[in-house]
Amino acid sequence: MPKIEVNERLFFALAEKTWTDKESFEQDLTVAKAELDEWDMTGPADGERTIKIELNDTNRPDLWSTAGLARQLRIYRTGKIPSYPFFASRKKNVTAPYRVVVDKSVREVRPWLAGFVAKGKAISDALLRDMIQTQEKLAWNFGRKRKSVSIGIYRIGLIEWPVHYRGVDPDAVSFVPLQETRTMTLRQILEQHPKGIEYGSILMGKPIHPLLTDAGGKVLSYPPIINSADLGAVQMGDTDIFIEVTGTDYPSVALSCAIMACDLADMGFDIENVEVDYEYDTPFGASVTCPYYFQEEVSVSLADASRLLGISLEISDTLAALNRMGLCAYSTDGTLIHVAPPEYRNDFLHAFDIVEDIMIGMGMENFMPQRPTDFTIGRLTPIEGFSRRAKNIMVGLGYQEMVYNYLGSGKDYAEKMQIPANSLVKIANPMTENYEYVRNSSLPGLMQTEGVSAKASYPHRTFEVGKVALKAPEANYGVVTHQYIGFLTSHAQADYNEIASHVAALMYFLGKEYSVREAIDPRFVPGRQVEVLVNGARVGVFGEVHPAVLEAFGVVMPCAAGELDLDMLLED
Amino acid sequence: MIDQSAARALHPLEVKIIVTFDAGELIDSARVRDRLGFKEGQDQQAFSWLVAKGVLEEADRQTEVFYELTPLGREWHDKGTPVRRIFMLLKEAGPLSLPDIAQRLGLDQKTVGSAFGSLSKEGVCAMDEVRRAILVKPELPQSSLDIEALLAAAFMQGGSVSEKALSPQQKALMAQIAKKRGAQDAPFRIAERARVLFQVMPSVREYREAVTALGMTGEELGAITPEMLEKGSWKGGHFRPYNLQIQPARVIPGRRNAYVEFLDSVKDKLVSLGFEEFDGNLVETEFWNSDALFMPQFHSARDIHDVYYIEEPTHAKFIEEPYLSQVAAAHEHGGTTGSRGWQYQFDRDFTRRLILRSQGTVLSARQLPKANVPGKYFGVVRCFRYDRVDATHLSDFYQTEGIVLGENVNLRTLLGFLEMFAVEVAGAKEVKYVPGYFPFTEPSIEVHIRHPVLGWFELGGSGIFRPEVTRSLGVDVPVLAWGIGIDRMALMALGLNDLRELFSADLESVRMRRSQYKIQ
Repeated sequence: MPKIEVNERLFFALAEKTWTDKESFEQDLTVAKAELDEWDMTGPADGERTIKIELNDTNRPDLWSTAGLARQLRIYRTGKIPSYPFFASRKKNVTAPYRVVVDKSVREVRPWLAGFVAKGKAISDALLRDMIQTQEKLAWNFGRKRKSVSIGIYRIGLIEWPVHYRGVDPDAVSFVPLQETRTMTLRQILEQHPKGIEYGSILMGKPIHPLLTDAGGKVLSYPPIINSADLGAVQMGDTDIFIEVTGTDYPSVALSCAIMACDLADMGFDIENVEVDYEYDTPFGASVTCPYYFQEEVSVSLADASRLLGISLEISDTLAALNRMGLCAYSTDGTLIHVAPPEYRNDFLHAFDIVEDIMIGMGMENFMPQRPTDFTIGRLTPIEGFSRRAKNIMVGLGYQEMVYNYLGSGKDYAEKMQIPANSLVKIANPMTENYEYVRNSSLPGLMQTEGVSAKASYPHRTFEVGKVALKAPEANYGVVTHQYIGFLTSHAQADYNEIASHVAALMYFLGKEYSVREAIDPRFVPGRQVEVLVNGARVGVFGEVHPAVLEAFGVVMPCAAGELDLDMLLED
Repeated sequence: MIDQSAARALHPLEVKIIVTFDAGELIDSARVRDRLGFKEGQDQQAFSWLVAKGVLEEADRQTEVFYELTPLGREWHDKGTPVRRIFMLLKEAGPLSLPDIAQRLGLDQKTVGSAFGSLSKEGVCAMDEVRRAILVKPELPQSSLDIEALLAAAFMQGGSVSEKALSPQQKALMAQIAKKRGAQDAPFRIAERARVLFQVMPSVREYREAVTALGMTGEELGAITPEMLEKGSWKGGHFRPYNLQIQPARVIPGRRNAYVEFLDSVKDKLVSLGFEEFDGNLVETEFWNSDALFMPQFHSARDIHDVYYIEEPTHAKFIEEPYLSQVAAAHEHGGTTGSRGWQYQFDRDFTRRLILRSQGTVLSARQLPKANVPGKYFGVVRCFRYDRVDATHLSDFYQTEGIVLGENVNLRTLLGFLEMFAVEVAGAKEVKYVPGYFPFTEPSIEVHIRHPVLGWFELGGSGIFRPEVTRSLGVDVPVLAWGIGIDRMALMALGLNDLRELFSADLESVRMRRSQYKIQ
């Protein structure tokens, strides 16, 4: 979930409210599903204090910026919906003073581009930092680490229009990227520049790479990797900037462009349009004037909304609630509500998405909890009930119940247990080798306990009931999950006879007839281990733990142990 | 003054001494054994207790040498000395070779050799021309009889004899046959014992007064034995009162694990609220883990659930139909769910990718196609996260999740359930609800509670499943989905502050762990 830092003074100015205590601020943030993360109020309120805020709604990238979050809070309180007249739409043409030409060569690699120009305000340090943060949050969280969306910001004064967006041979083009002083080819940037190394995988294996140049052939940027050090270095004090968004998913590109434009408009910039001319078609025609309003109207019936919220909604209250959320809503018949999503939102997939905005708009305090009335019978799973019986018997036999993690290392689960690692389910992308395998037995856990508990008074008698993952090539997943009970006794006289007696007691009270057959399991001493058979099926194993296993776990006390498959026993 | 409880705490051995001897008397082991019939050891116990109480004081101490029978000495006493046994054998069986004697008597050759040596020195035996032992005199030598006398004397006196009780000749003999160390091949071991003389102090009178007032005689009954019960010998007797303040010895019982017990209490609570438990595979597919929950395959919401992938096999063989097609349609264009969908090409290969389930909601999704209406289901299930393990993160841990299906469930009934969990499961007094976000619910609600100890915290997340989720899985009624975080409550209930401790392998800490929660 994205976390942003906002400049306190900038945020309060945009929200048109000054908060002085955390509690009321936190309460107000809930309408944006935002949480206060950190607000150091100890320093002077001189404009340098920052507030850290976490945004929970991953479908509302418009809230991940100072202006966007402030906007939601402002509208909720004032009910005043801002207008952004510079948007073009299906119904509305706008003349664009700037133009970007998209060459067909870029279609296969990164086809979409949107952009606009913002003018008329000197960029302060706080503003610059905020703009970079918004750019990063959109590209990283919403744009999937720049894969589907990346954003470039440029000083407009140096650009010769129109700008060209095309695909090029990565070995044939070179320029000086940001954070560098030398000219590098695109290939060199991918291999040597920190940003190239970080984001290079997006272009991996592509013969043609995207490039943005001006009419004079000067490079603006190499999307989605890096800007040029020349045109792409925005600084404090700049007043006129060009912002472009490229990507692989048109709605995401258009929305990111819209969000940046609305934010800068809220901050006092004049927004001017950019016409993007494609050599191929977009969902909105071959020529799109940006920022472009692409969203479609959505509607929900008052009856559906009432049913879902559990209260009888009035049309006027409902429209007012939606207005508080910043949504232009209307109804012609009093039963169906139509909503035109704001320019900066595109999260209405289903009619029910409007219902949540009604809920937040009305305020949670208007929904009284209602006790459920449907009668249903509660019950545990059969395996849970069976496992509890087994646990009670083990406790009666003097065993301490343990509970272990299910992930562990190949060293503990295989090597020390003297079994091959390929008998275990392995994780393809482990974070560390300490958590690389899923266990197929509870015995490694019980042995770990012995390894770290030599000082605990003996006898040690431990057991665990839990899941194991067993390889099963014939199963749909190739792996099945079973419930096992593992048990271990450790003291100077611990031996086969003792564990055999305990198994006998357990099986008697579980009501299971069984027989034993000598087993050959490297975890146990040869000739002192058996398989447990119920109706001919092998349901478990027990015996004296092999000294090689004890040695591997650093244990110098004899152990006898075993485990039974409770799922198999239950089915029998 | 000696109070009652101090008097009661006296051992019968102490009481006997207190009531028998008066201040100023000098007593020692011999006197106490003789007068009160104390067994060996009892006298020393009683003396040490009474010295500690100031009733006795050491008056004099003398070291006395004792000769104790060794196991060999006892054997000589029981079966006869080797000298006597050889003598008797030769007398009965006539001339015999030494190996023959050793074999017949079951003695080793060395013992027979040395015994024969002393017999021939005394002129009782000799060797004939064919190297057989023969008797020359018809009686045993005096030295042998003296040794037997010493053995008998020691045996009669409980296994040892004091040096003081021996004549000079006996002392000389004893010096030959007793050893101080390595005495296993000698009949006697030399032991030094202190003979201590105690003076009875004036405080004995106070004790006697207190003891007499309580009617204690030192003849009180100790441990109740089966014999005592069989014979009825306890009747008419007095039971010795025990010191009831004594620290009891530790026992290590078989026990349930405190954390698992806590989880069980949550399960039981949910069952009592009408919920049926579900369970499932640790290994799941992207389909059930995320796709069925309408989380787009490309979306950053997927980042929340960074998952562990299975190395082999990588993919499930198939995904159950019609759910695969219905879910794919919901993602692509909404299908029949009334949604516009996510507008992208659903990847039917990726959806079969095998992973470790990252959220309990998987099981809620899996329950939907087979759920009853009305129906309530829950699971307390192990989930896996791609997190660095520390005090607040585990790579695998339990989640508590569930669903409620019903024609008439809605936001208000959802709040009703959340309130019920807050009060019944978490013991909350105050509850508040705030809008939340989960990719699979709309609307979504977080429930925060004011816990008596922890203060305000987020108890869980919930919402109404999106139609894209329910309709794709064949459910046409609203479904409430909820998850409650019980780990913080578990830590508090167990007095811990590190999640890793919940799964501790350390036996002693698991043994000592106690649940402090109240079963509601």
